[in-house]
Amino acid sequence: MDVNVMGISGSPHRHGNTETLLDAFLDGAAEEGAGIEKVILKKLDYSPCRGCNTCHKTGVCIMEDDAPPLFDRILSMDCIAVASPIYSMGITAELKGLIDRAQYLWAKKFVLKTLYFPNEHIQRHKGVFISTAGLSWDNVFDAAFPAITAFFNTIGFEYYDNIIANDMDKYNGIKGHPTALDEARDKGRRVVKEIRSL
Amino acid sequence: MGQIASIMAIKVLAFAGSPRRGGNSETLLDWVLDAMKKEGDVEIEKIALTEADVHPCKGCNACEVLNKCVQRDGMDILHDKIIEADCMVLAAPIYCMGICSQAKALIDRFQVFRSRKFVLKLPVVPPERKGKRLGVFLSTAGQDWDHVFNGAVPSVKCFYHVVEIRDADIHYLMINNVDEKGAILNHPSAKADAERLGHDVIRELQGRLSE
Repeated sequence: MDVNVMGISGSPHRHGNTETLLDAFLDGAAEEGAGIEKVILKKLDYSPCRGCNTCHKTGVCIMEDDAPPLFDRILSMDCIAVASPIYSMGITAELKGLIDRAQYLWAKKFVLKTLYFPNEHIQRHKGVFISTAGLSWDNVFDAAFPAITAFFNTIGFEYYDNIIANDMDKYNGIKGHPTALDEARDKGRRVVKEIRSL
Repeated sequence: MGQIASIMAIKVLAFAGSPRRGGNSETLLDWVLDAMKKEGDVEIEKIALTEADVHPCKGCNACEVLNKCVQRDGMDILHDKIIEADCMVLAAPIYCMGICSQAKALIDRFQVFRSRKFVLKLPVVPPERKGKRLGVFLSTAGQDWDHVFNGAVPSVKCFYHVVEIRDADIHYLMINNVDEKGAILNHPSAKADAERLGHDVIRELQGRLSE
């Protein structure tokens, strides 16, 4: 079967540490024969969620911008890799802005009950979180995980794995990190193999 | 001397971070601010982030060299107010287990202060004002989970640390299980807790500023 993998870069910084790590993951997936595509959030035009809760009644977002078509595309994928650097102990405002816009999917699942992902669907759809941080602290990613967990849950993807590398300031960037890029490439290969085996 | 020197008004800068005006987190904020006003000479400014034109940080790191941000937007007028405030209040709802993106954008734009403090090693506030600034974080969440605020708090701490408001000087009031607009009005303790917080913070500042 064809496996389609989308990488979503939430960094405002093109070709920086996080996007380079995402590229390694996508390269690994491509080596395994997956179809890959990469979305750069800063190139898209979408507003943050306005919290109007209209979608709780209609299941549709009132904002007509690039976010709903992107969610349609995301839902058609087998694997999503969501990438963001850590800014101020959390994901970037760009990625958080997109995640918050998934509210209409959450509303369809939990309020309107018009969207349901069976367990077999969730197992076949894998979500990966990719991140880098300048700080060396082991806990620097901790505050990002809850929002990523909530996002994968909303879109019906299993939270499959993290590819995270801290201490970028010490390594002078991701290319100086001893293992991260190889790990990302391996995980790209492995997730495609696993989806194919299901 | 104390009697001769006129005591300056306590300056409170409040951010309503929610895109929903008059919703639960802003109501909580208004309760705190109303209580603060009753404590005497307090100058309060409330900024609704949804109208403040604060764009996300571009991650360009130019502030590490320039000591200012390259973006020209609403932060230009907020910058000095942030430094001058004796108390900075941030109110924001939890969306998808994290602080709403409008508030995260503001937090990330404090990178210019972080660069000033940690990279350029320049003072963010005059030394005599250190320890005389307080922070307040107010939040609401629809979920009833106790851990629903855990993803937001570390970013809030960064927000305050880089402008010289210490961990111990941040006050929190976080109310879960309030979802629909106005739900907080039915909460058993939120209003009283907010009023007590507003009162306590101003009293604490009055004490510290007269030291």
